[in-house]
Amino acid sequence: MYIVIVGAGMVGYGLALELLKFPDHEVVLIEDDAVRAEELREELGEMVVLGDGTEVVFLEEAGAARADLLVAVTRDDGRNLVACQVGKHWFHVDRTIARVSDPRNEPLFKTLGIDATVSVAATALAQIETSLPEHIVVPLMRLQGSGLEVVDLHVQEGSAAEGTAIKDLALPYQTVISLVVGIDGAPRIPTADTIFRAGDEAVAVIDADAEGQLRAIFAGPHMTDAEADSDEHPAAGTGGA
Amino acid sequence: MKVVIVGCGRVGSQVALKLDGEGHEVTVIDHDAKQLRRFLPSSFNGQTFTGSAIDHRVLVEAGVNRADAFLALTPGDNRNVLASQIAKHIYNVETVVTRLADPFRAELFQRLGLRTFSPTNIGADLAYDALLGT
Repeated sequence: MYIVIVGAGMVGYGLALELLKFPDHEVVLIEDDAVRAEELREELGEMVVLGDGTEVVFLEEAGAARADLLVAVTRDDGRNLVACQVGKHWFHVDRTIARVSDPRNEPLFKTLGIDATVSVAATALAQIETSLPEHIVVPLMRLQGSGLEVVDLHVQEGSAAEGTAIKDLALPYQTVISLVVGIDGAPRIPTADTIFRAGDEAVAVIDADAEGQLRAIFAGPHMTDAEADSDEHPAAGTGGA
Repeated sequence: MKVVIVGCGRVGSQVALKLDGEGHEVTVIDHDAKQLRRFLPSSFNGQTFTGSAIDHRVLVEAGVNRADAFLALTPGDNRNVLASQIAKHIYNVETVVTRLADPFRAELFQRLGLRTFSPTNIGADLAYDALLGT
């Protein structure tokens, strides 16, 4: 696959290194900061193009016309959007992925045909949240288009889930518990008879609208209604492979 | 007609004053309060807001959701494109005008539904005519 990455900050650079591990991928990075571009050129060679990745001329130089994928990961939502739109509509790149900083821009990017959006801040936030004991349902990733999301569940002491087999829980429609990690740290694929213990962690696919219901099942009695009902979780961006 | 203009430079302010003089309801946004004071005289009847052209909160405060037209006239092409598409696709503003210095992007986003113009093309034509025109 031929991949053009716009923006060679830590995200763009890190992504390039990951992709280069696959011998089938050809990767080009476009960076508009001359010092940064030169630095990366010393390490990565000719695959680094110095220029503004939102401009036709530099995208052309980077080979956008034969790219299968364009990933725009600068810090600026406007630049990422324009890079993707120029890639898509001028060079007919099959698939475009944009980093979005302002979550309010996510629906816009989707409307405009950007195939996937990634929110670095929301992802970092979700990762921090999973390590806070008082968080019951933490969104990890939204599945593109389906309205489903992957969440991390924490079974609280005294909750409806504790001591109950999965088949006996009134789980919301479309909930699939795919993995349970006990307090011993051992991962298990659950069955209908698997019984939750306090302190268990589970990874589940759920309907994005069912977070509140799940929270009520997995929250302990000491949780106030406000906490149990809280839906104030920022989404972890939309993934999509 | 209610018009929201982002970017209060020479171009933005001049359009704002012209529309204001014709009796339109004009709101101007610039991230730099000095620009608003510098280019808009006290005779200007419209509203002004200090803030980012791509900040949804600022745009809503300026009434973008009630606007008939939106003009993105900041010096940044990508900023103008993002602001314009927010106005058009999120807040359903009917007429959106976008300034793009880069003629290629002006052509592309015209195709994608924005009314774009490129000061580069216009300036080049005028310079050429001034030299060789009759």
